[in-house]
Amino acid sequence: MLTELETKLLGIMMMVIMLGMGASLTFKDFRIAFRKPQGIMIGLLAQYGIMPALGYALAVTLGMPPPLAIGLILMGCMPGGTTSNIFTYFSKGVLALSIMMTICSTLVAVVMVPLLLEFYSQLKGLPAEYKVPAGNVAQVLVVLIVPTLIGIGLRKWNPNVGATIELIGGLLGIFVILFLIATWVPRNHLLLATTHWTVYFAVIGLGLIGMALGYVLARGLRQDPRRARTIALETGIQNGPLAVLIVLLTFRDEMQQQVLLAPVLYSLFIVLTSSAVTVWFRGKTNREELARDQAKVPTSAPAAATARAAAAGQAP
Amino acid sequence: MDRPAPIYDLKPWTTHYGGAASLPPLRHRHLAELLRETAARYAAQTAFTTCMPNGMHGSLTYRQVDEYSDAFAVYLREVAGLKAGARVALQTPNCLAYPVVAFGVLKAGCVLVNTNPLYTPAEMQHQFVDSGAEALVIVDLFADKLDSILAKTAIRRVIVAEVPQFFSRVPRAVIRGVMRWWNRVLPPIAVEHVRLQWALAEGSVAKDRGKIDVAHYTAGLGLETLALLQYTGGTTGVAKGAMLTHGNLLANLEQSFAVGRSHIDEGREVVLTALPLYHIFAFTFNLLAFFAMGARNVLVPSPRPIGNLQRAFDNYPITWASGVNTLFNALLNEEWFTAFPPKHLKASVAGGAALQHPVAERWRRVTGTVIAEGYGLTESSPVVAFNPLTGKQKPDSIGIPVPGTDVRLVDDEGSPVPAGAPGELIVRGPQVMQGYWQRPEETTAAIRDGWLHTGDVAVMDGDGYFRIVDRKKDMVLVSGFNVYPNEVEDAIAQMDEVLEVAAIGVPDARSGEAVRAYVVPLADGLTEEQVRTHCRRLLADYKVPKTVEFRRELPKTPIGKILRKELRAEYRAKSGA
Repeated sequence: MLTELETKLLGIMMMVIMLGMGASLTFKDFRIAFRKPQGIMIGLLAQYGIMPALGYALAVTLGMPPPLAIGLILMGCMPGGTTSNIFTYFSKGVLALSIMMTICSTLVAVVMVPLLLEFYSQLKGLPAEYKVPAGNVAQVLVVLIVPTLIGIGLRKWNPNVGATIELIGGLLGIFVILFLIATWVPRNHLLLATTHWTVYFAVIGLGLIGMALGYVLARGLRQDPRRARTIALETGIQNGPLAVLIVLLTFRDEMQQQVLLAPVLYSLFIVLTSSAVTVWFRGKTNREELARDQAKVPTSAPAAATARAAAAGQAP
Repeated sequence: MDRPAPIYDLKPWTTHYGGAASLPPLRHRHLAELLRETAARYAAQTAFTTCMPNGMHGSLTYRQVDEYSDAFAVYLREVAGLKAGARVALQTPNCLAYPVVAFGVLKAGCVLVNTNPLYTPAEMQHQFVDSGAEALVIVDLFADKLDSILAKTAIRRVIVAEVPQFFSRVPRAVIRGVMRWWNRVLPPIAVEHVRLQWALAEGSVAKDRGKIDVAHYTAGLGLETLALLQYTGGTTGVAKGAMLTHGNLLANLEQSFAVGRSHIDEGREVVLTALPLYHIFAFTFNLLAFFAMGARNVLVPSPRPIGNLQRAFDNYPITWASGVNTLFNALLNEEWFTAFPPKHLKASVAGGAALQHPVAERWRRVTGTVIAEGYGLTESSPVVAFNPLTGKQKPDSIGIPVPGTDVRLVDDEGSPVPAGAPGELIVRGPQVMQGYWQRPEETTAAIRDGWLHTGDVAVMDGDGYFRIVDRKKDMVLVSGFNVYPNEVEDAIAQMDEVLEVAAIGVPDARSGEAVRAYVVPLADGLTEEQVRTHCRRLLADYKVPKTVEFRRELPKTPIGKILRKELRAEYRAKSGA
């Protein structure tokens, strides 16, 4: 685990990163995201439909002992993590959609998380008393929304300042990702060496399979590929720190340590898998951009006819 | 040579002019006078803004452009020691350095040589030697290309400019940092050079010390004085310099105003300049015309990928845009553009290559504004014809000749063809160049009896609107029948499986010449027979390509025109003819 200082530092860095993310956006981007509001609904569906069920399914099929099963299900029931926005930014996804999904899933977390936890815990015959810290959920929202809004404002005020902050936020984002990868492995190598392969499979699978299912769901519900990739990242990337907090508040002693294993390992591997997926998605977006650049204009007759009518209507 | 006056000389198109049919007399003796007068009128307003893909920007007011270009003029004349009429090459993408240098050269009474920054060293050498350029302003990104060629040219001064020129300190440092350390596109410069900001400082000091009146440099200039050597590949291969005078450009400005006046609010417009300024279309239309109209020019260094334009549209209230078909097409494929089209846009103009009918219609529908296609050549500064912005616009047509321009369609003997028949478009007017720089033979071939022969075959309809049928030199003669490659290309382009196509004529034992098509398929699997079957449904037999070759891409000019001559040269080389 991280020390308190590191946690605070990470929190501040997250705010700077979100400031940079905000500086890459305009309100128009949010309006474009809202043009297809299904996107956000699909995101919520994936977040609270697919992920908890996936956590539960992995725990059952892999025969996880209760503490690990609790950890997995808990992880599945979490809202989207703020890091999903950074990865969406780097994968050239629809950042405004990602931020809206994170905000929405976090907003409903206060209600949805306890409900889902109770449902799946009882299904598996596990204790179902959890403390979801509403204050911390609110804090997540503040860290997310306030810097984003300030970033948008700064960019509107002066695009030079906005672009500089965006660059700083992006660089810091890369730094934080590298920092997490570089420090967590040596810190937890003992844990990593003694962990059973099924646990690895479960924690890595939760993220990766979650992304895949999120993508399939979004595509199935007719989202364009770029939105679907955004929804995939949002689905797979859960708010790990919130899960850790819930565990710390709910459990004690030995049990606490055992339940923590799944969220901790998940948080480590999701950074690795998301980074890889981001590189892949970015390449896809770039190729699509190029293809659009050279694409033919649709020449279907009805479109041309309406165009003619419109042109005739506006001619003086 | 006594023939009845051809229909073209009756100018049936003049009834479609929105304004006056004749061109007003020019109000200035040369461009420097126009530039100085405009700068004084709009002094405090923003003249140019460079907008980078990430939104970083820098701007110059009219006064700053005036002062910096004065300083550069003094630098050229006093520090670099150039005489009036000396050629100065300018080789940068769109950036704030461009107007400062270009205007400075004109104010110094020198001749500007626009040079494509993407040229290879060999192409640069040809252009520099041919023009006899004595000084060069080059962007730092490509300055390493000078290493191998500079000694072979007459260039004595190299001045290095940069894309974020005149940006404030932090954005400039960030952009240069990214260029140097991340993109690694700033090469070391081996040749002796000065930085533009240093040259401007030297010029400014020399101006103050010598109490120099910059207007003095252009005192003896007139409309006939050479202003610009604009190189054009033409279809014959070697690039040659079209000699455009101050008078040519001033006249073409007036002619452009005649087209756009109804939609131009002087001192209030914001024009998007995504096309390169070294190209004659953007040079005359965006740089000169909109500067003269007191507009703010938003310069985009590179419009590819098209997302690079998003910040320009986000951050500035664009009212006018100029572009080529590919640019409008690309914008229409972007959600950020189509979902919230620019609110302040009033009008757009397309040139350079044919504006496809579906692109134009979609543009009108999406933006709710007028888009007009025009026609021009480097040799005519460039505007010859335009669809009027108010009144009748005809799709797939280049519109009507601009005021003050005579146009005829003629056959091979130079006799006018009847209305409705295809003939070579010839042009006479104040915008037609003096000739090709130091190429008297090619000049006499191009300009006969004062008429510029464009090499384009066109048709005029009853209203006096013209439609380009094809390039004369590209025409294919199959068993005595004329085949226009455009017609074949249009037919093949209708296939959904086809991305791009070009058609050329190749020697054929039986028919003299035969049509050969080059097709870029959207996906693999398209066969030669499918293409020919498709053509047979739409075209007469002799027009159907005899051979079809599939390839991944077609050779193109920097602004996206397909180069048929390269395909022909390639075929000749391969067949050993």
